[in-house]
Amino acid sequence: MKGIWPTAGVVLAGLALAAPLSGNAYLTGVAFQIAMWIALAQSWSMLSATTGYVSLGHAVFYGIGGYVAVLLVDAAPFPLVLLVAALAPAVFAAVIGLPVLRVRGPYFVILTYGLSELVRHGVMRIESALGSFGRMIFSAPSPEALLWWMVALAVAATLGAWAVRHSRFGAGLAAIREDEVAAETLGVPTARLKLLALIASAIIPGAVGGLAMMRTGYFEPGQAFDPVVSFTIVTMALVGGTDSVRGPVMGAIGFALLSELLWSSFPQLYMIVLGAALIGFVLFVPQGLSGLVDRIAGRRA
Amino acid sequence: MSFLEVRGVSKRFGGITALNDVSLTVEKGEIFGLMGANGAGKTTLFSVIAGHAAPSSGEVLFKGRRITGLPPARICRQGICRTFQIVRPMAGLSVAENVRVAALYGSHGLRPGPQTDAKVAEALAAVGLDDQLETLAGALTLSGQKRLEIARALATGAELVMLDEVMAGLNPTEIAHMLDTLSALRRERGLTFVIVEHVIGALMTLSDRILVLHHGERIAFGTPEDIGRNDQVAEVYFG
Repeated sequence: MKGIWPTAGVVLAGLALAAPLSGNAYLTGVAFQIAMWIALAQSWSMLSATTGYVSLGHAVFYGIGGYVAVLLVDAAPFPLVLLVAALAPAVFAAVIGLPVLRVRGPYFVILTYGLSELVRHGVMRIESALGSFGRMIFSAPSPEALLWWMVALAVAATLGAWAVRHSRFGAGLAAIREDEVAAETLGVPTARLKLLALIASAIIPGAVGGLAMMRTGYFEPGQAFDPVVSFTIVTMALVGGTDSVRGPVMGAIGFALLSELLWSSFPQLYMIVLGAALIGFVLFVPQGLSGLVDRIAGRRA
Repeated sequence: MSFLEVRGVSKRFGGITALNDVSLTVEKGEIFGLMGANGAGKTTLFSVIAGHAAPSSGEVLFKGRRITGLPPARICRQGICRTFQIVRPMAGLSVAENVRVAALYGSHGLRPGPQTDAKVAEALAAVGLDDQLETLAGALTLSGQKRLEIARALATGAELVMLDEVMAGLNPTEIAHMLDTLSALRRERGLTFVIVEHVIGALMTLSDRILVLHHGERIAFGTPEDIGRNDQVAEVYFG
């Protein structure tokens, strides 16, 4: 069972990269969305699934990356734009990290949410002071190029999350999640590791935000820092399961496909059905999709 | 130079004095017992030595170096590790994973690999948990969790192990078993122990020297025989 997951991942990435060959713009769009959510949920899991510090503010990294990319896109080559979009939220995470990571549990959840909203409103004020009510992007790369970049980010985030979980760093983060006091008694430098995890989980969302703004061709701070992005990330990770690296992948695919399907079949009931599905998952499949698959496979074996 | 030296340590929480000018020295290879009723300050003294609480005054030296005020992780890497009165297993991790964290981050600072796995196996064998590597730590019995904490301390490479009521809640068979384990650890590894124990029989059997605390103050000090004959101790303990 275990050996099939890397193969499945390669097949999936290949399919996504090949989506533009279908000539169907909708399919390319869906592939872009799925890759985007995989990259985001996987990055989130590097901090929140490993340490148990649940961030409800990852939209802030996505938004900062998007903002930076929009400001730079006409001034620099595209790879450099993405690089700066990735580094800017990492620097932001490094600055806010130490004080923010002193609180845990529900306080951390609320604090990350509040911080994200604070930045959202700050950027809205700045933009309106500059007399800007949304910025159009004219020099964005083609949808195909954006998709390939996004798939690369999804792959990088997945490999990164895997590497973290299987490293000494990951063992320290798991110890922090289980019992922070015990962890530091065993020599785990808890403050430093948490900060590094926060920074690691902020990098790829920044680049993702940059690509997403290019894709919509439009930047508006209320949308770029939309808290629904944070909520969706957490939802997908929970639906997929946080015990393994394939969880966020399964959650992102399952959730994105489900919402596409519902959107096209039941436009009026879309959000209601989605909400019911989420509640059902939390109540009846607490281990997420990946846990469900393991259980079914275990029963067969 | 003493192995561990506590110099004039006081600890006040608001208006309450938990420790008042306590000094002691622990020599390498000995088992040093701390005795006292509930609230005497034993656990506070542990917390001060291990870095979980900063003393209001006084200082702690380990192998001649001042460790007062260092964070617990740094103190661990210098070679001191404590266990907890109320056990703190990392319940969602396996027994082996618990000990692995200690091997990776303690004073050995090992990289993941066969050397780490060997260290983990060896620490678990020393406390008799080597048949439960894959068990979740949360599923162990209390006795098992206390042993797990000792195994973790061993895997950090600690030279000084501080055991906070490692016998509490164990049945007589488990206590006898634990006494054997601790004696073997000291004999075979030359480890130094500071132990807090309510099970007085166990404390008397194990310790080379005993310090008695009462309301945060040192009231008696000596060999187990001295302590057994001390009138003040008898008065505090038995009224």
